[in-house]
Amino acid sequence: MEHGRTVPPIRDLMTVPRSCHTVAVVDDDPAILRSLEALLESADYAVHACLSGPALLQSGRLGDISCVISDVDMPGMDGFELLRLIHEARPGLPAVLITGYPETLPRLAHPGGGTPPVLTKPFDGRDLLAAVERALGNPRT
Amino acid sequence: MLNAPFAAPEDQGFVLSDMPPSRAQKQLALGIVLGLMSALYLVVGPFGGMQLGAIHSFVAVYTTAMFVTDTITAILLFAQFSILRSRAILVIASGYLFTALLIIPYVLAFPGVLAPDGVVGGLQTTAHLYLLWHGGFPLFVIGYAFSKDEGSSRRYSRSEVRTAIARSIGWTAAGAAVLAFLCIRGIAPLPRIMANRSAFVPEWPYVVGTPIVLLCAIALGVLWVRRRSVLDLFLMVVLCAYIIEVPPHYYPFPARFSTGWYAVRVTSLISSSIVLTVLLYEITALYGALLAAVLHQRRERQARLMTGDAVAASVAHEVRQPLTAMVTTADAGLRFLDRTPPNVDRAMHALRNIVADGHRAGAVVANIRANFRTDHQERVAFDVNELVQEALALGRDDLRMHGIVVRAEPNRQLPEVTGNRVQLQQVLLNLIINAVDAMAMRGEPRVLTVRSEAYEADRVRVSVGDTGAGIRSEHAERVFNPLFTTKPGGMGLGLSICRAIIEAHGGLLWFEANSSMGTVFHFTVRASPPVPAAV
Repeated sequence: MEHGRTVPPIRDLMTVPRSCHTVAVVDDDPAILRSLEALLESADYAVHACLSGPALLQSGRLGDISCVISDVDMPGMDGFELLRLIHEARPGLPAVLITGYPETLPRLAHPGGGTPPVLTKPFDGRDLLAAVERALGNPRT
Repeated sequence: MLNAPFAAPEDQGFVLSDMPPSRAQKQLALGIVLGLMSALYLVVGPFGGMQLGAIHSFVAVYTTAMFVTDTITAILLFAQFSILRSRAILVIASGYLFTALLIIPYVLAFPGVLAPDGVVGGLQTTAHLYLLWHGGFPLFVIGYAFSKDEGSSRRYSRSEVRTAIARSIGWTAAGAAVLAFLCIRGIAPLPRIMANRSAFVPEWPYVVGTPIVLLCAIALGVLWVRRRSVLDLFLMVVLCAYIIEVPPHYYPFPARFSTGWYAVRVTSLISSSIVLTVLLYEITALYGALLAAVLHQRRERQARLMTGDAVAASVAHEVRQPLTAMVTTADAGLRFLDRTPPNVDRAMHALRNIVADGHRAGAVVANIRANFRTDHQERVAFDVNELVQEALALGRDDLRMHGIVVRAEPNRQLPEVTGNRVQLQQVLLNLIINAVDAMAMRGEPRVLTVRSEAYEADRVRVSVGDTGAGIRSEHAERVFNPLFTTKPGGMGLGLSICRAIIEAHGGLLWFEANSSMGTVFHFTVRASPPVPAAV
C-alpha cells in the first residue's frame, strides 16, 4: 500500500478545512454512488467513489482518504468486511455505514472495535453530512 | 355392489359413518361373511354332533370379551355422534350399549358360571336374555336405518349433544334393566326355550331361530335399501353373522356345549368385534391423514408467508435504491443552490439525475409487477419434458464448461401441465444454475439430475438434484431470503422469486437432501387434465 501524501494525525484534523478532506464512498448501486458524490461535493469535500470494496482497496488511495462511507449490503465483500480490511491498513480511520436493511445488522458479524455510525436508506442528507463531520472530529458549525 | 347416490363428492366426509365404502372394503366385508360361513359350517358339518364338556369358564371368558367389545364400540359410536350429531348414530350406539348391558344378567344367570344354578334367575332366564339380545340388536339397526337420512334439520345442536347422549344411555339402561328384571323373575312374556339346563326345546327353531332370522333379515333389507357408508356396510356384515349363527346353534345337536354351540359363540364374539375393529382402523387412518394434512398446511403457510415477505422485500429493495439516490441528489442540489454564488449548473445536473432515477424506479416496479402477474390468459398447457429439454439446452454452455454430467430421462407417462410457460422455464433454469453453482466448487462427481413425475393425483413434480455440498440446516431459511439473491444481472431470478412464481401457480417449491450428497429441489405444478387416481 502506497502513501500519496502524509496524513495529519487525527487530533489535528479538527482544524483542517473541509476541502482538504477526501472522503471515499463505496456503493454497488451507481445511482446512489453518484448521488453521494454530489452531496459530498456540495459540502466541499473531495470524493473518491468506488463501486465495490475491492475497487477501493486496490485503488491505492487508501492513504489519502480521511473518512469512508460504505454501503453494508454489497455482493462479494460487504461493508463490515471492507471496514475490517481497511482498519488493517489504517487503524482508526473514521467510517460511516449505510444500509437498506437495518434489521439484518445484528446478524452480520461485526469486527472488534467501536461501532461505526449506521444510517438507514433513504437517509436525510444533513444526517449523513453531520455523521461525516462527527467522524472527522469537526464540530458542526 | 354399493353406490353412493346421496352424497355429492364434496360432501363426503372423512368420518366412518359418512364415507362411502371403497371397493377393497366391500371385498373385505364379503370375505368376512363368506369366511365366517365356511369356517362355521366346516366345523359344524363333520363335528357338529359332538357333545363337548361344559366349560363354564369359556362362557365367562367369551361373555366378558363381548361385553368389553360392545361397550367400547358403543363408546366410539357415541363419540362419533358427538361429532356428527345425527340421530342415527345415537340409535346404533344405544344398540351396542343395549347388547353390552344384557350380557351382565346373562352371565349372572348362566348356570355353572358364577354359581351352580346361576346367581339369579331360573332355567329360562339366560335363553330369554339371549333371545332379547339377538332380537333387540336388529331392531336398533332398523331404527338406525330409518333415522339415517333425516337430514340436517334433525341434527342436534352442540349444546344438546351431551343431554342427548345422557338421555340415550339412561333410556337404554332402563330398558335393559326392565327386560333383565322380567327375565330374571321369569315373568317375561316369552315362550319356553330350555328343556333342561343344557337341551333346547324342540320348538327352538320356531321360537328362537325364526324370530331372530326374521328380524335380522328385515334389518338387513332396510339397511340394504338405505346403504351409504362404511358403517352401513359392516353393520350388514354383523347382521349376516347373526343369521349364519342360527342354524348351527340348533342343528344337529339342540343343546348347549355342543361343537356347534361353541363355534357359534366364537363367531358371535368375532361379529361383535367387527364394527369395533373397523372403527379403530378408521380412527388410526384418520389420525395419520390429519397429521399429514396439518404438516402440509403448515408447510404451505410457511411458504406463503415467506413468499409474501419475499415479494414485499423484493419490491422494497427495488424501490428503496432509486429513492435513496433521488433524496440524496435533491439534498445536494439544495446545497449547491444555497451557496453564494449558487452553483446552478450542478443543481440542474442534480435535478436531471433525479428525473432519471424516478423513471428508473417506475420501470423497475412495472417489471416486478409483470413478473408476478397471474394472467390466466397467459397460461397454456404444455409438456414438462419439453420444458426440461429446453432449460437444459439453455444452460448447456454452463453445464459443459463445468463438466457436469446430466441425467434427465424424459417421463413418457407424464400428463400435461397448465401454467405460464416462460415463468416456469425461468424457475427451472434458475434451479439448474443454482445446481451448477453448487457443484462448480467441488470435485467429482458432478451430476445434475432432472426428473419429473406424476404427484398426488393431480400434479406433476419436477426435481432438480445436484451433488454439491448440500444446504446446512441453519441456512435453510436463508436460501429463500431475497436479501441473499442479489446477483448482479445474469439469469438468476433468486429462489424467493421462484417460489413466488410456483406459489402463484398453486404449487410448492421446497428442497431436501439428495440421496448421497448435495441437494434436491422439488416444485409442483398442476396437471391438466387431472391424472386418474389409481384404483
